[in-house]
Amino acid sequence: MKKQTLSLLSAVAVAALLGTGATPAAAERTAKIAGFGAKSGVVRSFGVNTEAVMQAAVEHINSQGGVKLGDGSMAMLEMSFDDDRCNAEEGISVLRKIASSDALVAVGPTCSNVAEPLFGILQRSVDDAGDSGLRIPIFTDTAIKGGLAKISEWAFRNVPNETEMYRTLFLWVKENYPDLQTVYGGVEEDFAHSRFTWYNVMDTRAQEAGFEVVGFSKWLLADTNFTQQVREMKKAKPDFVALSSHPFTLCGILKEMNRQRVRPKLMIGLTSSSSMETLQGCSKAAEGIIIPSSFAPVTDAAKMVAKLADEKGGSADLHSAAAWEIVEVIAQVMESEGVMATEDSVQEDRRKIRDGLAKLETTNGLIGTIMREGDGEATKPYLYVHAQDGEWAVLHDPGAS
Amino acid sequence: MEIEIFGWTLLDYFQTIVDGVLYGATYAIIGIGFTLIFGVMDKLNLAYAATALAGAYFSWGVGTQIPLPAPVAYVISSIAAGGFGYLVYLCNFRYIPSGAPLASLLATVGMLLFLEELIVHSTQGMPQPYPALFDDVMLEWGDFGMRGDLLFVFCLCVLATVFLLYVLYRTKLGMATRAVAQQPVAAQLCGMSVQGTNSTTFVIAGAIGGIAGAMIGASVGILSPLLTVPVTVKGLIAAVIGGLGSIPGAIVGGLLIGAFENTFQLLRSVTERDMYVMLLLFAFLAFRPGGIFGTASRHE
Amino acid sequence: MDFIWGLVQILGVHTIIGLSAYVILLTGQVSMAQAGFCAIGAYIAGMLTVLAEWHIIPGMLVGGLAAGALACVVGFPALRVKGLMFTVATLAFGEFVRLFWFNFDYQISRGGFEIGPLGGEGFRQIRFFPENGWSTLEVAIFVWVWVILIMAILWWMDRSRIGAVLRAVGEDELAAQSVGINLTAVKVTAFTIGGFIAGLGGGIYAHYTTHVEHLNFGVLLATFAIAYPILGGLRTVVGTLLAVLFIQGVLVEGLRFLGDLRNILFGAFIVLAMNLRPAGFIDARVTRALGRLFRAERGGA
Repeated sequence: MKKQTLSLLSAVAVAALLGTGATPAAAERTAKIAGFGAKSGVVRSFGVNTEAVMQAAVEHINSQGGVKLGDGSMAMLEMSFDDDRCNAEEGISVLRKIASSDALVAVGPTCSNVAEPLFGILQRSVDDAGDSGLRIPIFTDTAIKGGLAKISEWAFRNVPNETEMYRTLFLWVKENYPDLQTVYGGVEEDFAHSRFTWYNVMDTRAQEAGFEVVGFSKWLLADTNFTQQVREMKKAKPDFVALSSHPFTLCGILKEMNRQRVRPKLMIGLTSSSSMETLQGCSKAAEGIIIPSSFAPVTDAAKMVAKLADEKGGSADLHSAAAWEIVEVIAQVMESEGVMATEDSVQEDRRKIRDGLAKLETTNGLIGTIMREGDGEATKPYLYVHAQDGEWAVLHDPGAS
Repeated sequence: MEIEIFGWTLLDYFQTIVDGVLYGATYAIIGIGFTLIFGVMDKLNLAYAATALAGAYFSWGVGTQIPLPAPVAYVISSIAAGGFGYLVYLCNFRYIPSGAPLASLLATVGMLLFLEELIVHSTQGMPQPYPALFDDVMLEWGDFGMRGDLLFVFCLCVLATVFLLYVLYRTKLGMATRAVAQQPVAAQLCGMSVQGTNSTTFVIAGAIGGIAGAMIGASVGILSPLLTVPVTVKGLIAAVIGGLGSIPGAIVGGLLIGAFENTFQLLRSVTERDMYVMLLLFAFLAFRPGGIFGTASRHE
Repeated sequence: MDFIWGLVQILGVHTIIGLSAYVILLTGQVSMAQAGFCAIGAYIAGMLTVLAEWHIIPGMLVGGLAAGALACVVGFPALRVKGLMFTVATLAFGEFVRLFWFNFDYQISRGGFEIGPLGGEGFRQIRFFPENGWSTLEVAIFVWVWVILIMAILWWMDRSRIGAVLRAVGEDELAAQSVGINLTAVKVTAFTIGGFIAGLGGGIYAHYTTHVEHLNFGVLLATFAIAYPILGGLRTVVGTLLAVLFIQGVLVEGLRFLGDLRNILFGAFIVLAMNLRPAGFIDARVTRALGRLFRAERGGA
């Protein structure tokens, strides 16, 4: 028995070494980008979608000849994708592995609770030689909790700017629904993103737009019973509601609202809820909910990405579609900064890409031009979508008016 | 005139407690499962709530292929969970020596993680709709309201319990189970198969759990792998408060947790709710380790 | 190499957390409160290095002592009960501690940034290591100095009268009591030591992840804390280390080449391991065999 176990263990260990050590023999020049995110646990769909979109983007660029390097030769993009299980320690481990490899830039992670520690182990400012943090650019597509990229100058994000989105959304509501006066909030209290978005974004932006916030209810990520929260909501008699909550509890709260016949004249949801998950879970109860989203298949490019992601077994939504834009931006920066993509130039190339990303003022997005902010964040174009007959339909395009 | 205590009327309290007790029925039925297995084997099966939800997921999966009326889905869930229960028995108890309770405990944790991840991979972790009965019924008397579907869940849980008690105390199988639980050696000498009884207990407990899993899915309207760990913890607490091994204890325990957590939420907000539930549980265990009915001395 | 040293750090921290449960397991009790004690060490050590700008070593020690002191105070009521009741009581207490930090805000403003723990949003920028220019290797060495120190002390304890007393209580309380051992004193002592070690582990955890939030210290971490010593075997401290290697080194990192299968099989491998080695990797037979091997070598020399 003991022998069996030992031999099993050693076989596994050997296989592990082979698995991690093996590198495909490269016949041509390649530039490597490393994706990572959660492909396990309840947030698995995030990682699956990001990987699918990244793959589609890489293949798209390669099919057009690849990336032109600093010495004039062409290189193919090569990508990897690691699962971090939405766990901080594992995310750090994955990033260290990426940093130890010859990948030039990392794309990820999907979870804000991984992004935050990850950005913390990066060097804070690039010229601080006394800071021993990691020196590899990270470009984030999904982790959306506000204000993270300022943690390090190596961190960049291509996630929507919720502050801006909800500011204009509430103003738009004010303009188009003049009879609405009061709003009631709801917040999924123990999840960093939803919590931040209610207290720092929705609450303040609604008041700025001239609405009276007549109260808010809190619930937890895994809660299943919302009778009390909805009763509070019912008592406050709001004209409309704003719910900062991820799909699982959003569905729970919406169903309970139906049951208690709380029918606000309008519902506003959290950016992350404008995904397939909400429709999958409760398309009937969610009917009509308005959410600002940085992605909808409205342009030709966006339609193509949606189709390609589908073929790769994922879906393009406001999170994963950002990965397409990221890969395109990285390819563009590699060319403009003259990245060499040789064995000896890895650290130099990484710095070049970082500096190139920091220099950008605008980038091309799938539904319009993206503004790059000084602190590594982005302000992306966005649309208001609403749930209609089991699909997300575009309600209004604030950029078009 | 309305009397207010801490800013809430008596009706608010009554409503809160009724809501909590109704929802507590699902905790109670998971608690029964824990207690049943513990009563027979003196061991804890931490994968229990996971098998319950796996059953519900199985019936959801069948439902995606052929449209199922809700009651049929519940029955399928129950049967599937019974099967999963047997699997858990085989993998975590059958071949691990009874003198190594920690090994079985840890193996069931492994099983929990395994089942959870299987669910995640078969659904990409996305929440899935689950059929409910009386979903849109709301019984109302003035300001007081009661959810029809929760009332149904509550009644079904009571029925499941009555059925279980009938099996345990009025059938030959129940007799054997209780005999093995109380005197395994003597039972064996009388020609009863300990293994057989144990595995039957797992199947019965699993089937009951399958109903609980379906009821959880029905009362929430959605299935999500997010549910596994909280349901495990709440069910375990229900079983322990009731005094492990006592079925009426688990029922009262589950309903009490439901009532208490809702009351704490009303008084102290949702962020502090579980904190006080845990503190109460800790104090309860430290000062009344035998459980509500105080008969757990054998299971120390 | 950076990756390897990073992994070495993780192995070290998890070994410390596992050892904190090991001490308590020796007395026959399964404590699910270790994640809670880790949280205390993490938040306190983090606040001391970030807000009070202390060095990490005194910060960790204060965090550890706070966790140990709390374990001692809680130990008296908790250890009135045994077995599963104790496990659930400690689970409740650990969750209570986690939820305490979930509700805990204490931020000060420095250099235009709000720093310090902020309830559900966590406690960011615990950057003592990078700010002081410690390389990944140096941090790994730092972690392992603690691991070796703790292992050495526990190893010595195991071989001294204290270890004998702990195990006596774990194996047969009645017999231990009849030879004049004060059960409560022994168990509370073990629980206190366990709390202290978990607090130290938490202190390092906060600094090597640079960000902590309450969700890090949930039931899952508590389960892993007891899983390591159980999987490794309770005969020796080395077992815990082996189990950490198996779980973090092989199952988490080593099986990456399996892709999606890795995480599905994670639980299955634990089930398999417990079926094959119900008394842990290093059980009585292994220690006997090793003992014979060492004696033979000594005899030959």
